[in-house]
Amino acid sequence: MAEATAPKPSSSVKLVLLGEAASSLVLRFVNNDFQENKEPTIGAAFLTQKCNLPTRTIKFEIWDTAGQERFASLAPMYYRNAQSALVVYDLTKPTSLIKAKHWVAELQRQASPGIVIALVGNKLDLTNETSGSSNAIGEDGDEAAEPEDDGDARKVSTAEAKTYAEEEGLLFFETSAKNGTNVTEVFTAIANAIPETSLKGARGPGATQSNANRAEDQSRVNLTGPRDNASKEGCAC
Amino acid sequence: MFNLSSLVQKAQSFIDPTQALNISASDRNPAKSTLFRHQFRLPDSQTPLQEITAELTITPPVAYSPNATQGEKDKDRDRGYHYAGKLHLSESYLCFSTQPTSFLQTASTSTSSGFTGQTHGAGPGGNGFTLPLCAIRRVERLHSQSYQFALSITTWNGLSNHTNHESSKVPILQQKITIQLAGTRQACERFCDGLKKGLKSGVGEVGKLKRVVSECYSEYLLQGEGRKENRSKMRLWGEYLRDYGRNVTLIRQPTFHKLIRVGLPNRLRGEIWEQTSGSLFLRLESPTLYADTLAKFEGRDSLAIDEIEKDLNRSLPEYPGFQSEEGIGRLRRVLTAYSWINEEVGYCQAMNIVVAALLIYMSESQAFFLLSTLCDRLLPGYYSTTMYGTLLDQRVFESLVEKTMPILWDHLVKSDVQLSVVSLPWFLSLYINSMPLVFAFRVLDVFFLEGPKVLFQVGLAILRINGEELLDAPDDGAFISVLKSYFSKLDESAHPKSENAKLRAVTRFQELMVVAFKEFAGITQSSITEQRMKHKDNVLNSIESFAKRTSIRNLGPDSKRLSVDELGALYDRFYTVLYERQQRSQIILEETERRAKASRARATEVVNGLAENQIIEKGRVGLGPSPTLMDYDGFREFLAGIARWAITDSPSPPEKENAADRQNHSYFGNSVRRRETSLSPWGYGNPEPANHEFMQRLFQRWDVDMNSALTLQNVVTGLAHIKGKDNIMGSITYFFELYDDDGDGKVDREGILRISEALLFLSRRGLEGSLTPSSSMTGLSEYEAGNGGQLDPLQGSTNERFLSSVSAFIRRCFEYADPDHPQNQEDDASATNGHADSNAFGIGEDSDDEDEDLLDLGTEASPKKNKNFTGLGGGPPASGGPDSKSLGQRSASKAQSEAANAALDPSKPLHITLPTFRMVVLADELLEQFFESSFPASFRISDKMTTPGPSSSGSSLTTFSNIGFGRQNPPQNGIVSAGAAGGVVPPSKGLRGVLDNIVTDGMRVAAEVKRRMDEAQKEMEKNAVNKPDEDEDEDEAYDNPRTPGGERRSNVRSEDRDLLEGADAEAMSMRGQEGVVSEIKGNTLSPTAAIDAGRSRSVSGASQKIVEFEQ
Ligand SMILES: Nc1nc2c(ncn2[C@@H]2O[C@H](COP(=O)(O)OP(=O)(O)OP(=O)(O)O)[C@@H](O)[C@H]2O)c(=O)[nH]1
Ligand SMILES: [Mg+2]
Repeated sequence: MAEATAPKPSSSVKLVLLGEAASSLVLRFVNNDFQENKEPTIGAAFLTQKCNLPTRTIKFEIWDTAGQERFASLAPMYYRNAQSALVVYDLTKPTSLIKAKHWVAELQRQASPGIVIALVGNKLDLTNETSGSSNAIGEDGDEAAEPEDDGDARKVSTAEAKTYAEEEGLLFFETSAKNGTNVTEVFTAIANAIPETSLKGARGPGATQSNANRAEDQSRVNLTGPRDNASKEGCAC
Repeated sequence: MFNLSSLVQKAQSFIDPTQALNISASDRNPAKSTLFRHQFRLPDSQTPLQEITAELTITPPVAYSPNATQGEKDKDRDRGYHYAGKLHLSESYLCFSTQPTSFLQTASTSTSSGFTGQTHGAGPGGNGFTLPLCAIRRVERLHSQSYQFALSITTWNGLSNHTNHESSKVPILQQKITIQLAGTRQACERFCDGLKKGLKSGVGEVGKLKRVVSECYSEYLLQGEGRKENRSKMRLWGEYLRDYGRNVTLIRQPTFHKLIRVGLPNRLRGEIWEQTSGSLFLRLESPTLYADTLAKFEGRDSLAIDEIEKDLNRSLPEYPGFQSEEGIGRLRRVLTAYSWINEEVGYCQAMNIVVAALLIYMSESQAFFLLSTLCDRLLPGYYSTTMYGTLLDQRVFESLVEKTMPILWDHLVKSDVQLSVVSLPWFLSLYINSMPLVFAFRVLDVFFLEGPKVLFQVGLAILRINGEELLDAPDDGAFISVLKSYFSKLDESAHPKSENAKLRAVTRFQELMVVAFKEFAGITQSSITEQRMKHKDNVLNSIESFAKRTSIRNLGPDSKRLSVDELGALYDRFYTVLYERQQRSQIILEETERRAKASRARATEVVNGLAENQIIEKGRVGLGPSPTLMDYDGFREFLAGIARWAITDSPSPPEKENAADRQNHSYFGNSVRRRETSLSPWGYGNPEPANHEFMQRLFQRWDVDMNSALTLQNVVTGLAHIKGKDNIMGSITYFFELYDDDGDGKVDREGILRISEALLFLSRRGLEGSLTPSSSMTGLSEYEAGNGGQLDPLQGSTNERFLSSVSAFIRRCFEYADPDHPQNQEDDASATNGHADSNAFGIGEDSDDEDEDLLDLGTEASPKKNKNFTGLGGGPPASGGPDSKSLGQRSASKAQSEAANAALDPSKPLHITLPTFRMVVLADELLEQFFESSFPASFRISDKMTTPGPSSSGSSLTTFSNIGFGRQNPPQNGIVSAGAAGGVVPPSKGLRGVLDNIVTDGMRVAAEVKRRMDEAQKEMEKNAVNKPDEDEDEDEAYDNPRTPGGERRSNVRSEDRDLLEGADAEAMSMRGQEGVVSEIKGNTLSPTAAIDAGRSRSVSGASQKIVEFEQ
């Protein structure tokens, strides 16, 4: 999309990640990396990543939270003041969407009013659907996936999740952190959905950086484990 | 506050070895035995049996020389180190510490009255030892001029079976310590006796001990079997262990503490960890527990195992040991075994990281016990299902930051930086994945010796050292990155630019340790405990409100029928009941034990030092797994809190309990008051719940999973179906189904009687909702005020009216019931015809008229009625005339009476169907209102009823005892003892009063039913035989209302008399309802009785009689 040629307004957006298989999604977004044996998130991890929109730059301050159920009572510490939330479920686990729904309900009641919530089914690569991105967000992608057939690990149908997301007014995506399908799209959609008026804390004009030195900025704040600064494209938009 | 250092020896001035904490209510006053165990890191089986002031003398070991002279021995004692402190004896340990304990010597094991708070139980701090008695080889009593009581203790150390005395090149060094007891001769003798006993019973444990220590590297190190590291650290440790004992026989001296601060050599790390944390003693206690647990649960599945499996590959991924199947297998086994022995904790993420780190230096069994010590003592509540310990310590850490670094704290607050995002993993995974492993292990070395305060000290030091940079960090991101880069440079010089080479050589990590333990020496277990106590409630409350939100949200679609407020109130009520019941049963249990103990010999007192106070707060939602199932008794208590009909009329007399307690005054002294108040199974001040069949039915109906217990979900669904039914039809159906036991859509004769019983039971405290607005409200307010005084006449009349309605209900049920058997087809047909004839739709109108009549009658009659009742003595139970009248009107049809007649014949089983039931209910305005509003409204969820909470319930108890339900109150103010404001029938004296008592136990219903049946039969008989003349006689009898019951009954047919006598007798003695109900069915409903009784009355006569009777 549009390259940042002139200084655009830049603003910070606090985003909280809740649910299962979430860290990998952020890692893909922030470092364009995937680790099979990613350590569990203890408490929470904090990362940042920028997202260039045509008219402005959004700096995501991402709070990645632990997925185990008992960590849930810590979550309010992290979703406090969040303008956006990414509720991730593992589409190969039937219970995962149920947990995600609880998070959505919790956010709708307890988080800041007007919070932008995206529901994301991750691990799309484990399904045997061919083209990753088209069937995930397609407006008429209501094809109920059959979990039975040949090696498809999918346990949550697109239709079910999508219907739910529509009822609740959530953005909805199916992604793969492993092969990168739809990952940046999620964040771009969130960035676009944040109302202009709620944007604040611009770090001054000209804060845009080239992709190369951005990466360094991104990964150094991940406290929970040493990561190599793979200098890859962070946000494709 | 931070003055501990002045209390202990200089050598340990900056060591405050600390203990774990249980954040129970007992924390301010922990039991002595708890403090003792924590101080010496002993298993829970140990209690302090004896203690005495003593001086410990440690001499460097000398080659064993049995022929040493007495003089030489004395000389030995003069050399070496001397420590003054306290010597303690438990069942299997002899412990010495220079560190003052937190308890007074005089305190008894289970009480905390002697808590001094000094070190809060500390840890294996100070100089001294924790010696298993089985590790002592010999104790000699030394006699010398200088010491009255001096003991020379020889341990097994140096004589282990690894060594052959002859062939060993290493000289056999015997570990020998000398202890001088300071105390009265008697006290010393007593201590020695206890020690002797303990030593005897410890003999059998020697084998176990050898097996356990064989897992310790030090055994091989000193035997020369292990590869000796050349590094100076290892040499220093080798010397120390040789001179001052190893593993179980290790004696802590200043050098030991210093060596630990310097960092353990890898080979010794595991065993010193288990020695200083005390997990070694757990392992000694049950050496095979780990293997046994794995064997026992082999092949079993659990949620924890699933969670563990998910994380196995994700534990210390950078450490190659855990990429192999072998390493992963070890990790899996330790985590799994622990999840089985502590199912409450199960598995929590971060445990995988901690255990992986432990396994680098320990055997599986050692890691297993150390994990156990971590969860139970060192990191209390950290890994629990609510993680309250983690949250609490984060809060404590924040408050310590605020206290010690106010400027930094201000900055954090201003820039809205979330400190816990960095600090939480520090605590939860013990810095293991926050700093490079080598350094994290150094922190652990000190942590296991000195306790949880180390985590705080290190955390504070990290912030202090980076303070300047952190002050410049504008947001979370910058804050985190400052710390991250700090951790990556821990091995670098702290003063790279210094001229001084020595300074340059100091690493950042060394600097961190110095700052942590010097600058933050003031952070002690006591100060942390204090902070924990301060923040505990807030943390628990916020966890609980989160849990509540989540739980309510998960209640499913049924819950939508209730308001959010109602759900919140239900949640609170539900868990309050469960929690309080658990507390009470705990207290009662303790009390029972206490009594049993008191009656037993004093000697056994020590056996159960029972950490009673630790359990006391269990059950609180915020603390982790708490009960979630409510049994029937809990359900009764729950109902009693939301519905006033669910409160018993005849509470068990409190005198009994008091008397029992009074007898025990001598044992329990001051505590009696507390005990006395809490011993009631329903809790002090809580109303005792009723136990009516209706409640059992409700319970069974709600118990959809057939667990004989209700979940919150069950309760919410159950109530949603009652309260959430806006339409009357729903309520009626619900009620009907409650009594349709086999679900065939029919309720039989028995069921009809039970329904009417239930209606009376539910209404006996008055009806809620908008019946006759003024009356029900008056009733309520009187009830709440506990006003046992005058009865509102209007209220009385409503109650009377309801009684009438119920009786009419029974009558109509039988009237319109369907016969059960096919051979009754004809009857069935005629009954249906009768139905049609009398016009089902007309019934409503009929009843309208009837109610108007009723109202008139009621207002007319009630002002005097009570007075009449008071003096009535043996008058007939109640008025029901208007119904009789209307019944008479309606039952004019012959066909109908035949049908009804058949209905009353017990030999012809019958039932009503839902449509019939519905019709019968709708035929009566009061019943209709009952089902429409007062029944659903009688469950008061969100508005307070008796405020069942313990705080305010005291008054409600008074109310109930004042009201005196089920008792005979003397008349007040010469009028009537209306007591039961809001009750259907006010208790008063005479037979009327007796009858009321009957009612309260379900007997009234029987009597009522009997009377109604009686009347109905008479009516029918009258219709059939039609002998109006006989009415006059009856009228006379009725006209004399003051005739005592016995005489009154002389006019009744003999069958009836039998019945009444039976009923009375039962009312007085048995108070069982079953018997009477069946008797009614057996006698009253017999055709002869019906005919005989019926002959004597006429319709008009009956109604007239009532009026006269009431005048
Ligand atoms: N095949 C596949 N595996 C994935 C994907 N995303 C994550 N995983 C795997 O799922 C596991 C968990 O992933 P994480 O991203 O760490 O999950 P998390 O929610 O952060 O886990 P916690 O931090 O413990 O809550 C890891 O083993 C990942 O390799 C994906 O898109 N495809
Ligand atoms: Mg994660």
